[in-house]
Amino acid sequence: MQPYLQLDGISKSFAGVHALVDVDLTVNSGEILCLMGENGSGKSTLIKIVSGVQPQDSGTIRVEGQEVHDATTAEMIRHGIQVIYQDLSLMPNLTVAENIAMARTIREGRRLVNWGQMRQIAQEAMDRIGARIDPDATVGDLPVGLQQMVAICRAFTSDLRLLILDEPTASLNRTEIEHLLALVREMRGRGIAIIFITHKIDEVIDVADRVTCLRDGRNVGSLTGGDLTYDRIVALMTGREVVPVPFVARIDPTQAPVLSVRNLTKRHNFADVTFDLYPGEILGIAGLLGSGRTEIAKALFGFAPADSGEIRIGGKMQPIRNVREAVEAGIAYVPENRLTEGLFLQKAVGDNLVSNVIDDLTGGGILIDEERKAAMVTQWIDALSIKVADPSAPVRSLSGGNQQRVVIGKWLTRRPKVLILNGPTVGVDIAAKAYIYEIVHNLAHEGAGVILISDEAPEIVNNSNRILLVRGGRVQRELETRQTSAQDLHRMVAAS
Amino acid sequence: MKPGQKSFLGRLSADAPLLFILIAMVVLMALLLPGRFLASYNLINLANQLPVLALLSIGMMVSMLSGGINLAIVAAANFTGIVTALTMNWLTGGAAATAGLPVILMSMAVGLAACMVIALLTGFLIAWLEIPPILATLGVMMLLDGLSIVMTRGYTLSGFPPFVIEIGNGSLLWAIPNAFVILVLVIVALHFVLNRSPFGFKLYMLGANPRAAEYSNIDTRIVLMKQYALSFLLAALTGFIMMGQFNSVKANYAESYVLVTVLACFLGGINPFGGDGRLSGIVLAAVILQTISSGVNLLGVDPFFVTAMWGAIILIVIAVSHVTGRYSVQTMIRALGLGRDRADAGSKTKE
Amino acid sequence: MKLFQRSEFYLLVLIALICIFITSQNPNFLTLQNIYGVLRSASVNGIFAVGVLFVLILGGTPDVSFPAIAQVTQYVAVLALIAIGGGNIALAFAIAIVLGAVMGALNGIIIQVFRVTTIVVTIATFNLYFGMLYVLSRGDVLFEVPRPFHDFGGTLLFAREGANGAVYGLSLLPVLWLAVMIAGWFILRRTMLGRSIFAMGGDEVSAVRIGVNTFAVRLFVFAFVGALAGVAGIAHASLVLSAIPNSIVGVELEVIAAVVLGGASLFGGKGTVTGAMLGVLLFAILRNGLVLLNISSYWYDVTIGVAIILGMSANAWQQLRARRNQVHVAVEGEAPR
Repeated sequence: MQPYLQLDGISKSFAGVHALVDVDLTVNSGEILCLMGENGSGKSTLIKIVSGVQPQDSGTIRVEGQEVHDATTAEMIRHGIQVIYQDLSLMPNLTVAENIAMARTIREGRRLVNWGQMRQIAQEAMDRIGARIDPDATVGDLPVGLQQMVAICRAFTSDLRLLILDEPTASLNRTEIEHLLALVREMRGRGIAIIFITHKIDEVIDVADRVTCLRDGRNVGSLTGGDLTYDRIVALMTGREVVPVPFVARIDPTQAPVLSVRNLTKRHNFADVTFDLYPGEILGIAGLLGSGRTEIAKALFGFAPADSGEIRIGGKMQPIRNVREAVEAGIAYVPENRLTEGLFLQKAVGDNLVSNVIDDLTGGGILIDEERKAAMVTQWIDALSIKVADPSAPVRSLSGGNQQRVVIGKWLTRRPKVLILNGPTVGVDIAAKAYIYEIVHNLAHEGAGVILISDEAPEIVNNSNRILLVRGGRVQRELETRQTSAQDLHRMVAAS
Repeated sequence: MKPGQKSFLGRLSADAPLLFILIAMVVLMALLLPGRFLASYNLINLANQLPVLALLSIGMMVSMLSGGINLAIVAAANFTGIVTALTMNWLTGGAAATAGLPVILMSMAVGLAACMVIALLTGFLIAWLEIPPILATLGVMMLLDGLSIVMTRGYTLSGFPPFVIEIGNGSLLWAIPNAFVILVLVIVALHFVLNRSPFGFKLYMLGANPRAAEYSNIDTRIVLMKQYALSFLLAALTGFIMMGQFNSVKANYAESYVLVTVLACFLGGINPFGGDGRLSGIVLAAVILQTISSGVNLLGVDPFFVTAMWGAIILIVIAVSHVTGRYSVQTMIRALGLGRDRADAGSKTKE
Repeated sequence: MKLFQRSEFYLLVLIALICIFITSQNPNFLTLQNIYGVLRSASVNGIFAVGVLFVLILGGTPDVSFPAIAQVTQYVAVLALIAIGGGNIALAFAIAIVLGAVMGALNGIIIQVFRVTTIVVTIATFNLYFGMLYVLSRGDVLFEVPRPFHDFGGTLLFAREGANGAVYGLSLLPVLWLAVMIAGWFILRRTMLGRSIFAMGGDEVSAVRIGVNTFAVRLFVFAFVGALAGVAGIAHASLVLSAIPNSIVGVELEVIAAVVLGGASLFGGKGTVTGAMLGVLLFAILRNGLVLLNISSYWYDVTIGVAIILGMSANAWQQLRARRNQVHVAVEGEAPR
């Protein structure tokens, strides 16, 4: 059978850096090809070339056997190739109907708007995938899951032959992911070719017919059928087997909890949250997006303080009404989104690292003691093995894994008693993940209490000793990690 | 060299394009005005005129470091001068020119206090009510202009005691104008405030990413309040100097300076989205603009030609940095904050 | 969107309250004669406001060069009509619209090609256009505008004789303003071009990906602003019956404030013609109210400043409250609102 899309010897470099080297790739109609690779492996460049956003330096693209020269976006869309970008590429200020229909009305060269027809186009597209969304709703007001549906519907306003999904599940919750994967399978049933890009290995095993892996801009191989196992995929991605080191808590039973929370409640956020956290513990919090897990963390950090309830730090009552009170009580929070909440991208690595402790670097005077600052920066760059030649380089020049080390490092400088990590390894490649786990384990072993919030069941199971299951703003269950497998946890979270 | 610190040469090279433009302008003016531009009286004149533009530009820059703007800066300078003058008149029963030092100082304190009240109001609107700075300061500007007109009935108030005139026009150190000395002192003080104090550090961080600043234990509201207080403080200082230089106060004096200070910030490499911008850059930019303005003035050119020229200069800077930036002077394109508009605007709407 | 969530609604309530107050102090406010006067004086800013609205929806920062463009086109059109010894008002409009569109398009080209923020470019072109006008005209004031301007500005619809014997009626200027608003509304709501402007304001990168020709759209928006500035320039000359090189500049910030009070977002993607109109009317009514209440015109700027500050504060406060009451998590067992 002739593949729908066939790439031969595609190469591309930017300013002398090879992004893609001699890549061959095929995808057939009615096949789900999972494209994997760590950050910077060349996946997004490949997508840009296939969708006509950028030209390749060399190599050929064939669509249904026909070679395509100098592809443009419009031409690739005519071939039935559609991309759903990670950021969805929606206009948040426009309605659902417009977001779905506009690409088509522009393509058809219309000058005037026919609102009825726009709704009709949108409705037809939604019907094709069984989505039910109010066509007059403003997209920016919708939950991310529905926004994703809108983006997919848009792809269905043209004759769709190849759909490329770029990390579509990154910001979806479990039910939304299930729905999406079902939809992708259904599209395969209709003979549509699908390239599915993701970091999540369980999804790959779940949905893929074939996995192709890029590493350093090269196609390093493919797996199919029975070879699609966790270990084989990881080995293919990293070039070696990564064995996770499970966390073993060392808790002194005589010690009092470092953090006690009693009946913590915030209207429209969470209710009656009660738990203890002991020094040396890593407490996992598992729950869907919108379960209240992030809101609880933000309340403990004083970012969006609770309405009522008690918080004790080291046995002492500690009101937390703002970030400063939380920080002074020894609580640290590594936020969900590294880029928008965690880092000052344009500022120096060093400045980012000391941004939490700048008031303590004056040595009692009114000016910052530059020597102490430089010493502290050097100390933490070494301690966290952050790969940077010059600490005055902007943090945006670092890789994702190194950026995340800076975010965590920012908080370690305060030597927190309680560290709350919210999705600490999102978008971080496997090798860098292992290193971040090591840092967190060590912190717990040194006597801090750690709270780990994560989407990934294996991450929580490997890196905690106790788990709180959160749903509907309440703690539903407390689990001992030793007695819980990743599959169990996955099922319990999904069931909620 | 210690990590985290830039060498002197490193800093100098960042200002190299501006230094080059300055030298080119001075050479050009010296050639166009042989024996006149570089004459000592003209240089003293330049040093006398520079402080008003430079102080206002620095005040504008301070407000831009957090991604804000202060459109009220000139209005605040005039307002401070008017409140001071009216207080002096009132305390002396209408004979302001005869006021003694205690009365003068008391009047200036009242003017400064009035300006600080406005600064607090502005800071409140921006930090607590989260009104976009361009709008909040626009409202405050109109309010201040209005108050100034109401207080003066649209007239010019003139005739101040010698001490006030000395601030703007006198010189205590040889021939160096007092206003210039004040400017130098302000620059030195601001260097420590912006580059060495925790407040300055937090201000740059806040400008780079306000959300991350909140998560990093930076009390963003307090920093914003201090920032606008500092910006208005510089405006008040300018107001005092203008009182002395013109020996009069009036609503709407020097209104066009608002746009010139924005131009200075642009030329000086201040990122209008916040987080980046060096004091040395803004000072050099102010010196360049004053050099051009004074030189063209000496050439006897129509003052409106100067206005047109400001516009042309911005466009030329934009074009030159676009062309050269791509190939060799990438630092300049970054320093000028070019090419970031669209990307940043996009990411802002996505939040 | 619910009615009471829209800033237009609050603006309308505010205007109504102000009108009630002014009328209670001076019943002359609600006379037809006075209303016609308010509309006439608001027309120039109202026409500008439609252009400002387009730029704000497109996103980026506001355009500030439109008064300078109006100033130049007005001066050139008046000079041209003087030179041919009359002509007609359509010619004046044609000259001003074409010249204005070219001058505006230059802004758009610079912004697109050099990727610089709008306010910086338009500050530059403002200074360039305004300065060159002064240099080339030597600041000469044209007190005698040709006949067509008198005719256009003096034509009154529904004319009738007032109590004091003066004839009053609806000037053509508000009609022109209405036409501009209808055109603006039509473009924004009913054409793909208008929706593309909204799309770019929402997310420019996404707009490119769905096939919006961002260069063409941006070029249109800035040319349109320039053309409207030309229209406003002719309207202004017909209103004041002179062409003074600095008689329009200085309104830029007030017009921008009016449009923003009317609900347009400074971050792009949001705004309505109705809102822009209400914003302009608010300021015109305030100005008129001061006159009717016998308050010195010195207070005008204070009033405008307070109006902007209060309007924005109310808006901001309402948004902050809405955010506080936002439901983040549907908490089990919590009484729904």
